[in-house]
Amino acid sequence: MMPAAQADTSTYAVELTGCTKQFPTPGGETYFAVRDINLKVEPGRFVSIVGPTGSGKSTILNMAAGLLNPSTGDVKSFGEPVSGVNRRASYMFQQDPLLPWKTVLDNVSLGLTMAGVPKAEAHSEARRWLEKVGLKNFADRYPHQLSGGMRKRTAIAQAWIVNPDVLLMDEPFSALDVQTRQIMENELLQLWQESGKAVVFITHDLDEAIALSDEVVILGAGPGSTVVGSYEIDIPRPRDLLDIRDDPQFVALHREIWGRLKIEVSKTYETAMAEEGEVA
Amino acid sequence: MTLVGSKKNGLPAALDGGTRRRARRTEMSPLAMRSTQLLLTLAVLGAWELSVRAGIVDEFFFPLPSDIFQTVWAWVSSGFVFPHLWITMQEAILAFLVGAAAGLLLGFVLARVRFLERLLDPFLQMFNALPRVVLAPIFLLWFGLGIWSKVAFGFTLVFFIVFFNTLEGVKSVDRVLVDNARMLGASEKQLLRHVFIPSALTWIFSSLHISVGFAITGAVVGEYLGASAGVGYAIAQAQGVFDTKGVFAGMFILMIVVLIIDLLVNRLERHLLRWRPVQSS
Repeated sequence: MMPAAQADTSTYAVELTGCTKQFPTPGGETYFAVRDINLKVEPGRFVSIVGPTGSGKSTILNMAAGLLNPSTGDVKSFGEPVSGVNRRASYMFQQDPLLPWKTVLDNVSLGLTMAGVPKAEAHSEARRWLEKVGLKNFADRYPHQLSGGMRKRTAIAQAWIVNPDVLLMDEPFSALDVQTRQIMENELLQLWQESGKAVVFITHDLDEAIALSDEVVILGAGPGSTVVGSYEIDIPRPRDLLDIRDDPQFVALHREIWGRLKIEVSKTYETAMAEEGEVA
Repeated sequence: MTLVGSKKNGLPAALDGGTRRRARRTEMSPLAMRSTQLLLTLAVLGAWELSVRAGIVDEFFFPLPSDIFQTVWAWVSSGFVFPHLWITMQEAILAFLVGAAAGLLLGFVLARVRFLERLLDPFLQMFNALPRVVLAPIFLLWFGLGIWSKVAFGFTLVFFIVFFNTLEGVKSVDRVLVDNARMLGASEKQLLRHVFIPSALTWIFSSLHISVGFAITGAVVGEYLGASAGVGYAIAQAQGVFDTKGVFAGMFILMIVVLIIDLLVNRLERHLLRWRPVQSS
């Protein structure tokens, strides 16, 4: 396992130490979602977490967000323990998070208006963001009037407008078609490059993880999964995501990381098959 | 679980327009439909009128439609019916406002405090299971012949509908919407304002027609059982002197008034739920 970039900064944007999350099952047993997770994300770094289905990727993100408390272990953000929701972070959900009864403009400015920013100011800032994500003509629409890609853009604007130091992204583009997805990834990378924010990005797609990240963290097969590997991605930036998959460096990294991930994916598959056998 | 409550009332939000869309495919033009409906009305009324005149149907039980309309006209033109209508409307509006407010409040509190919901659930189910009409006599004793006994009666009808819909509306809020608002910094109060209340409103509005109708039902039935004024009272009076024309005239006037109110509710609903996808092809 490679050390995750020797940091001389003692404060990490996100720092999980020995985090375990367990639930009691209806049968009276204990189910471990994740076990002994250690994760350090430096400010400004783009870190992806990749793992097979059921490896507790979202659990880790929810702990970092403060939406879920670890059963044991510590969660810190910029040196401070996270209690309640993580005030330094924004979250991009896999599902559609827009409030259907608010217009695009009101959805985007929500974080600001709730923080007490005057409405006119919040709206002009929201319009600036809508322009950035290419939706300035859609400010007065309701979410159901937008396409999936446009809703994602709105969600990006909504999450970024509050100027968080950390962005937690849970497979944000998984529901989009392949082309839209690549465009969105490119746009995300551009936004991120000019922002200096830390990103924790969850995906099951290794291509996406390598293409976007500075570091890829591999989770083992669930349940009770833990970090089994961490890889530096030193492909130079700025990257062109539309061509990156042919880059020899990308191909080499992909082969190396997939070699590790494959083992976990097969384990997950075998467990699933075994369980199915039990049921049958 | 608590789904039972609102299912029993048969009014969880009819959000999917699947059945409506299917019906639309074979639809004729609105004008043709209206004319056909008018023809049907005329045919039914005509058959009624003729069979009474021909002596097939006893005029005492089924008065001539033309006589009924004359009575309606007499009640309206003399102004006799308006004070009664006004009383009925007062009772219905008060019952609706108080019932809806109480239902909303309790619905929100119980949806947010799991302990209270579990504690009170059997009692609420019990009261909801009670046929409400049996309460009318006791309310007459408690609150007298005036409007308040009818308001109390209408309240018991409206309250449960609004309550169960609010409870379900708040509880069925998408987890992601709540988490997202919290991540964007929402306090508990802001969560209510931006997420829970709008979400519950969709449920409440989809039951608005029923709760408004129940408020009027409560008022009229209450008046019928004992009052000194109101449309229900006017109908009861007519019945007391075997004036079936009067009974039918009262029914007709109420029907028209409820239709008008329903139209207004439709308008209001369309305005307040304008963010919802239009359910048409």
